[in-house]
Amino acid sequence: MLVAVTFDAITNASFWISVGVIAGTYAIVALGLQLNTGFTGIVNFGQAAFMAIGAYTMAILVLKAGFSFWLSLPCAVLAAMIFGVIVGLPALRLRADYFAIATIAMAEVVRLFAQNARGLTGGNQGLFCDVNDPSNCYTNAWRDVSDHINNFVSNFWGDPDALFPLLIVIWVTVAVATFLLRRLQGTPWGRVLRAIREDEDAAQALGKNTLLYKLQSLAISACLGAIGGFFLALNLATVHPLDFEPLVTFFAFSVLILGGLGSYRGVAVGSVLFWFVLEGTRFIDLPDPPFTETRIAAIRLAITGLLLIGLMAFRPQGLFGKREEMVLGE
Amino acid sequence: MNDAAGNGRTLLEVEDVVKRFGGIRAVNGATMSVGEGRITALIGPNGAGKTTLFNVLTGFYKGDRGSVSFHGEEILGEHPYAIARKGMVRTFQITKALAAMPVIDNMMLAARDQPGEHIRNLFIHPRAVRQRENQVRKQAMELLGIFNLSDLAEDYAGTLSGGQRKLLELARALMAEPTLLLLDEPMAGINPTLGRRLLDHMQGLRREMGVSILFIEHDMEVVMNHSDRVVVMAEGRVIAEGEPHEVRRDKRVIDAYLGEVAGEPAAAGSSGE
Repeated sequence: MLVAVTFDAITNASFWISVGVIAGTYAIVALGLQLNTGFTGIVNFGQAAFMAIGAYTMAILVLKAGFSFWLSLPCAVLAAMIFGVIVGLPALRLRADYFAIATIAMAEVVRLFAQNARGLTGGNQGLFCDVNDPSNCYTNAWRDVSDHINNFVSNFWGDPDALFPLLIVIWVTVAVATFLLRRLQGTPWGRVLRAIREDEDAAQALGKNTLLYKLQSLAISACLGAIGGFFLALNLATVHPLDFEPLVTFFAFSVLILGGLGSYRGVAVGSVLFWFVLEGTRFIDLPDPPFTETRIAAIRLAITGLLLIGLMAFRPQGLFGKREEMVLGE
Repeated sequence: MNDAAGNGRTLLEVEDVVKRFGGIRAVNGATMSVGEGRITALIGPNGAGKTTLFNVLTGFYKGDRGSVSFHGEEILGEHPYAIARKGMVRTFQITKALAAMPVIDNMMLAARDQPGEHIRNLFIHPRAVRQRENQVRKQAMELLGIFNLSDLAEDYAGTLSGGQRKLLELARALMAEPTLLLLDEPMAGINPTLGRRLLDHMQGLRREMGVSILFIEHDMEVVMNHSDRVVVMAEGRVIAEGEPHEVRRDKRVIDAYLGEVAGEPAAAGSSGE
């Protein structure tokens, strides 16, 4: 009977659509990390903070300041980018590993602030709808669009899943962001970034203001983080401090390493693979007892980790990374 | 030609520069100058403060005291990139080839005035970016030709031999159109044939491009035969400055530098400063 349940779940389209939504969200977030770590050589462990700032700014502007949802999006992106520059100005002067420590601290400060500034962020209740007007939720504007898309799609294709429009919009965003980043990488601007990754002193000695470029890299990554934050907020229909724990950044780094450092295309593929493995392991059936639900959850992470380690043993450069660049980069 | 280039004007004027690391004065009141169109050698025993002085001149270390004027303009305390843009471009003792970038990208990176290094221009002046990029590529290929590196243009810089990397670093520095080149031990760790070629290049650069050169070197023969002027440092100070044949006879130099080399042959190697 357990086996039957399993197959039922595996063929459940709505389950895989929700996995696709998460994978797309993480792909956007990890594209920022790719720009930072893969192409600029700055290790940003604080990506979750930019997601949090994007999601919270959007929700707060809509619910507390009466902004329209659509206007709140650019404002929230701008807020995350400005925050990135403010943090980057002092922190980017640090050496790579110290910068990584500074960013993880920054991310925790943001999360703990969100948890405790209850008047603004709802604390551990999270943010969803206006307390005084339960019909005013930040997801309203998106729900309308989503319904329109599904009405349109249902003309050709039965009854689409409720998350289907979000899946489409997220993956279009992934495609556009990947295309733009790849184009940018091929420009003289992208060449300066790569030079900084290789040797910041050499870039400076050739007249490049490296701090400026690192700030730009961080700001663009913050922008992508904020966009990922919106999609997470729309998907979960709530903005909650627990959704922005450091683990989120580390999952995004797993995606990055899996896809390959220094490859934008690898990010999308890495994200799909990572989330399909992590979520797919839900279907591993083990008798309870002794395998309780919490134990199985831990085992799933362990299996995903082992798969990652296995892949790294055979393809240390990741799926799309260039081995020469990795070896020469030493 | 030699005299025409060395018209006696001072390009770089270093006065009483001090750089301390904790209680140690690595550079302790160094005063020297570099003439326009000259090849100036900076010599001195290990630990004399030559590389530290280089780092202060090029902004990689903040000097604690003194003054550095370049083209008559005070530059002490400026950022490295700002100093490079003013025309003082350096290479490093341990070559910094950008390993995971192709040789041609190493070269093109160094070019000046590429509007495409600003994101904004990529969108509003894409044509200007492309035009400059084509110019720069042509210029880079010409320079690579001069240095016999044309065939390696598309290879990763990390695959080059030690000597080729030295050549690449020199060629790359030239892409930045320097008026003064600072070379930190350009001959260290490369074979004599390549070393001779590098020296020829240095002479050619001065002759044909009017580039002035200040270089750190350990090999006395190289210094005597290939420089117009020699500056000798010991214990953080400049102890002698003059034409090679004068310096060679200077008693302080013999004591501080040659004496040590004679007593300790291994010192002619290229360990750190």
